[in-house]
Amino acid sequence: MALVEIRNLTKRFRKGDEVITPLEGVDLDVEPGDFISLMGPSGTGKSTLLNLVSGIDRPDSGTITVEGVEITKLSRGQLADWRSANLGYIFQTHNLVPVLTAYENVELPALLLPISAAERRKRVELALEAVGLTDRADHYPRQLSGGQEQRVGIARAIVAHPTVVVADEPTGSLDASTSEQIQVLLKRLNTELKITMLMVTHDPQVASIASRRLHLDRGQFIEADRPAAHAVTGA
Amino acid sequence: MRIFGRFAPYVLKTLWRHRARTMLTVGGAAVAMFVFCFVGSVQEGLRRLTSDEDSQRTLIVFQENRFCPTSSRLPQDYARRIHNLPGVVDVMPVQVWTNNCRASLDIIVFNGAPPQQLRQARDLTLTEGNWSDFESRRDAAIVGRNVAQRRRLKTGDQFSIGEMSVKVAGVFASAVPAEENLIYTSLDYLQYSRGQELVGLVTQLEVKLAESADPDEVARNIDATLKSGPVATTTRRKGAFQTSTLSDLVDLIDFAHWLGYACLALVLSLVATTTVMSVQDRIQEHAVLQTLGVRPGRVFRLVLAESMLLCMLGGFLGTALALSALAVGGMAIGAEGVTIAFRPSAQLALLGMVVSCGVGIVAGFLPAIQAARTPIVTALRQA
Repeated sequence: MALVEIRNLTKRFRKGDEVITPLEGVDLDVEPGDFISLMGPSGTGKSTLLNLVSGIDRPDSGTITVEGVEITKLSRGQLADWRSANLGYIFQTHNLVPVLTAYENVELPALLLPISAAERRKRVELALEAVGLTDRADHYPRQLSGGQEQRVGIARAIVAHPTVVVADEPTGSLDASTSEQIQVLLKRLNTELKITMLMVTHDPQVASIASRRLHLDRGQFIEADRPAAHAVTGA
Repeated sequence: MRIFGRFAPYVLKTLWRHRARTMLTVGGAAVAMFVFCFVGSVQEGLRRLTSDEDSQRTLIVFQENRFCPTSSRLPQDYARRIHNLPGVVDVMPVQVWTNNCRASLDIIVFNGAPPQQLRQARDLTLTEGNWSDFESRRDAAIVGRNVAQRRRLKTGDQFSIGEMSVKVAGVFASAVPAEENLIYTSLDYLQYSRGQELVGLVTQLEVKLAESADPDEVARNIDATLKSGPVATTTRRKGAFQTSTLSDLVDLIDFAHWLGYACLALVLSLVATTTVMSVQDRIQEHAVLQTLGVRPGRVFRLVLAESMLLCMLGGFLGTALALSALAVGGMAIGAEGVTIAFRPSAQLALLGMVVSCGVGIVAGFLPAIQAARTPIVTALRQA
């Protein structure tokens, strides 16, 4: 059984009188340890898919099952609990809380877990160490560079030991050199810590670090390294 | 609750981030709560004066159709006649002199009564001076704590006002706050003072009743008995007498409670505005928190906590300032020889804090709902 199972997923938006359907009847399986990159033109539903898998948006139809839990059936509160225990989210614009230090930002998701203060401290320190920011723990976001902020965002995404980490254009707001550092970091987290990742990107170079590269076009996934006949899904 | 405690630094730091806004809001709330507590203390003073046990179990005999103490003149002999009536335990003749019969914030009221009887009838504690000095000199006076504070009087001082000039033999505290606005002298002193011509006359008679006596029945009996005397009387419970004497002030004080409500409305709108602004500034931040796994209900409580903190901080400051001013100022308002003491009290402090907390909850409710209910994806897109 796949770690994440997406079946017949459809999402529609209304824009004035027009109905837009970025995802229609999408199927996808994500195996444990997968590092999947999603590419495709703007408006094809990549970020929408990420939001649905994260449980911060709801599909019009279809199901998403993560580790046996059908998250599309959960209430808003249950989804919040599920996210705190099972999901790490890396934002394009970092989205750190400006009044909290790097340490406190990383600690936020761990505050929601039923763990002791000592365990929480250990996890935060390990997460900061994993992204190489132990010496910046007491710095506020405004005192960090863009790359450092994103690394704090990554540490925050992994601190709760989530089942799956989703990243929405994690290098989209970074310069080339910093982007490369982040790519190396994401790859390392996947290979060394076996973290399952689902990443949306526009940049083919960033996509190339993933073990599976999917192209989403008109509601259909195509494995980048495979012929179209092996499409993952059909809309 | 434990998780909520873990988020306390986030709430505090968020308020500190916009310190100018936070301090202005807290300052505004403090000023409004200061006024609220002040109004509350006046109302509390009036309530105490007109509804405590002493005011219900003691009768005041006054000259019929007279209101200002300077115009009420009863024969002192009435005390003996009243004492013989059933249900009466004791009768204390009191001569009242005041520097101002109209409403005033700095009224000076002398009450002259036989010292021995006064000591038994009143629950007074001398904070300085001694009773024997008071009892041994006709021009000696014991001064209520509030008057002493207001007029900076201490034992041994000579205090003069109008035709009166007394030697301060002590300063007293009383279980009845309004008493602390009085100056007690011997009855003889007020009756024999130059220009008073009051020998054998008193302003009022204070009647202590037996436990089993019906105050209204005894009052009717007194008026009926003295109807045939040289001066007719009106006898009422002390509370009713004081309410009637202060009737103009009572209307004003009743009206002032609207001022208290206006202060609460001011705090409400101030804190609600600040909280709405804060929530709108942080729509994206709240969405990020929810993406990380913070439940909508918890976001609701975090916003509510911010608004409650603002209110309670302002409420605490305003209440503390008001209570300090009331404690130090020794303020009172009076008319026609009856005074209302503005006093700090634990009840007032508790009321101030409970009201602040309640206003904080109401002020934060709608912004908190807005923060908790905004769809996460929509909020995340608001850069």
